[in-house]
Amino acid sequence: MILYDYVLSASCYKIRLMAAVLGKPLSLRAVNFHPAREHKSAEMLALNPKGTLPVLQDDDLVLTDSADMLRYLTADRREWRSPQDDQWLAFASGLNDSLGLARLHDILGYEADIDAARASGVTALRELEAHLTDQRFDGVGFLTGATPTIADIACFPNTALAPDGGVVLDAYPSLRLWMRAIRSLPGFIEMPGIHRLHELAHPA
Amino acid sequence: MTAATDNHWYPVAMVSGIDAPRETWLLGKKITLGRDNGACWVRDAAGNPLTVTERFGHLWTSPGQPNRALFTIPEADTPGRRLVDVGSVRVKCSPLRAVENFLDIAHFPFVHTDILGAEPHTEVDRYDVRIAEDVDEVWATKVKFFQPQAAKSASGGITTEYMYRVPAPTCAVLYKTCPPRPGEWDIITLFVQPLTEEWCEVWPWMALYDDASTMAEMVSFQQLIFMQDRSILENQIPRKLPLDPGMEVPTQADMTSVAYRRWLKKIGYTYGAQLVAA
Amino acid sequence: MNWIAVGLKQDLPLGVVIPSRIEDTELAIWRSASGEVRAWSDRCPHRGMRLSHGFVRGNALSCIYHGWQYSENGSCAYIPAHPKLTPPDTICVPTYDCAETDGVIWAALQKPLGAPPAVSSRRPVRSMPVARSARAIAAYFNAPQSTFLEIGSDFDVALALQPCTAAHCVVHALAARGADRKAVSRWLEALRSDLEESAP
Repeated sequence: MILYDYVLSASCYKIRLMAAVLGKPLSLRAVNFHPAREHKSAEMLALNPKGTLPVLQDDDLVLTDSADMLRYLTADRREWRSPQDDQWLAFASGLNDSLGLARLHDILGYEADIDAARASGVTALRELEAHLTDQRFDGVGFLTGATPTIADIACFPNTALAPDGGVVLDAYPSLRLWMRAIRSLPGFIEMPGIHRLHELAHPA
Repeated sequence: MTAATDNHWYPVAMVSGIDAPRETWLLGKKITLGRDNGACWVRDAAGNPLTVTERFGHLWTSPGQPNRALFTIPEADTPGRRLVDVGSVRVKCSPLRAVENFLDIAHFPFVHTDILGAEPHTEVDRYDVRIAEDVDEVWATKVKFFQPQAAKSASGGITTEYMYRVPAPTCAVLYKTCPPRPGEWDIITLFVQPLTEEWCEVWPWMALYDDASTMAEMVSFQQLIFMQDRSILENQIPRKLPLDPGMEVPTQADMTSVAYRRWLKKIGYTYGAQLVAA
Repeated sequence: MNWIAVGLKQDLPLGVVIPSRIEDTELAIWRSASGEVRAWSDRCPHRGMRLSHGFVRGNALSCIYHGWQYSENGSCAYIPAHPKLTPPDTICVPTYDCAETDGVIWAALQKPLGAPPAVSSRRPVRSMPVARSARAIAAYFNAPQSTFLEIGSDFDVALALQPCTAAHCVVHALAARGADRKAVSRWLEALRSDLEESAP
């Protein structure tokens, strides 16, 4: 499987992370999204006319929607699926439009109504925090139950990267514990802005 | 704002990225830049043209009267190097903090884990630092550090040697052992555009010997590294760089930083600096 | 000086550090492997990095930037760049009084007077950021000087207020032991909406 990838993209990271925790190897093709805008190159547009990243290619199959990619990667791993996933995949897409946009604005100077993007990001974070707090009252730590599913992988990147876009995460304890649980998963990989749990390292 | 700040060259754009005129900030003031008939220009808020020069893939300008030409990097012109436009990243920190972090190796095992450093290889040996009076630059040489993956072209850990150079208050040049070409140095720069005293745009640029990687791979490697630094830079208190001793605690590993701060004070460069301990 | 609630026990497991603040003082609250809770200044003396971004190993807190390690009294115990060096005593993080009672973590910037507020038979429900100042919330409940409000309501709610900025605070909510915590949570969210909508 080939992932056309941009190292700073939260959506590309979703797919890298999913594959990593599943133990499925991906062949990464770096795309110069910034500054060269290679995702809009003729070669990439031939693969994905939408001109977006990530793109996942498995032989003849080409997927251009990250939710579809998460479903595809877990098609043979039912423990990573829940009936509630779809609503959270839609929620994750909303996070990309709010927190994700704020991040692109703050890092790469994208045009955005930054106050509106951050405000709707905060609304979404509050909703996520309320839900995860309820889950904890029920004694479970992930969005749909006691174990993670594609719902968690989909919502994690833009949530954890919120500070990149000027949205603080300081006062969301349930989000913090949930993110910590994801960072503790076997096979977890980091991306810039989301570091590993150094406490788990065992220096000589 | 003072002559000590105005009379320097600052990067404001990648030459290859200039198409339609656009606004940006320099030293807390709006400027506009663009290109007409192939020639790049920069204007201040009142529409007055500012002096410009194009070098190292970037457009440079100055709001004042630079008393010398933009620094050179002669090694970058040697044939066989690939010149890498890395693009830019905006950071909410002092431009001086961004430069100082670039001069620091002791953070590699914790911030660039398993790439530029890894526990337990954390020790920083003594290296040489001087302020080169003839050229008025800060130089650190004989800097050595263990790196698990020194560059995109590197496989496996090696002890890498570095030289650091600060040729201008908001610019730093790193010369680094080049795995495929023993005896040569890769060149990695950090050009920082001070948008305000606490907000900057960072333009890394590289001149590498690397025939194995794609351009996109070299760009993404450097963006990965710098974005790992960004989450540090946005969380240092205060945002400005303290120049007076007492507010932060340097050790022997921080000799380059100590020299950089001393040099900034000597040349009177205080934009983005905190002078009195809060 | 009063004790101020800065977090709930349920949100701070062993070996975890979290950011917090009391007004302009930013805090790193952390729990060691042996269970002790500490409230420290959220700033590494080396380069000013926030310690709340760091990590806990055993009974020490390390800075994420250069791995400087601080033992439980706040003094620097280890500098990875110089493994053979014994750090001088002068390198230390300012520490504050910290107490944990009835599931609430309290800190005091100056020597506290007496014990933290008694929460009586209530238990913690959740902490929640609110876009109003602590003073405004206290005034809303006609107790302008207080940081511990016993509201009553069906759930016998009490709010421990953590003043942050002129526009923000964190509310640590407790309720009667038998109360349905999800229902309390909805009640709190409605209260937050009221508070934020009543902002001038």
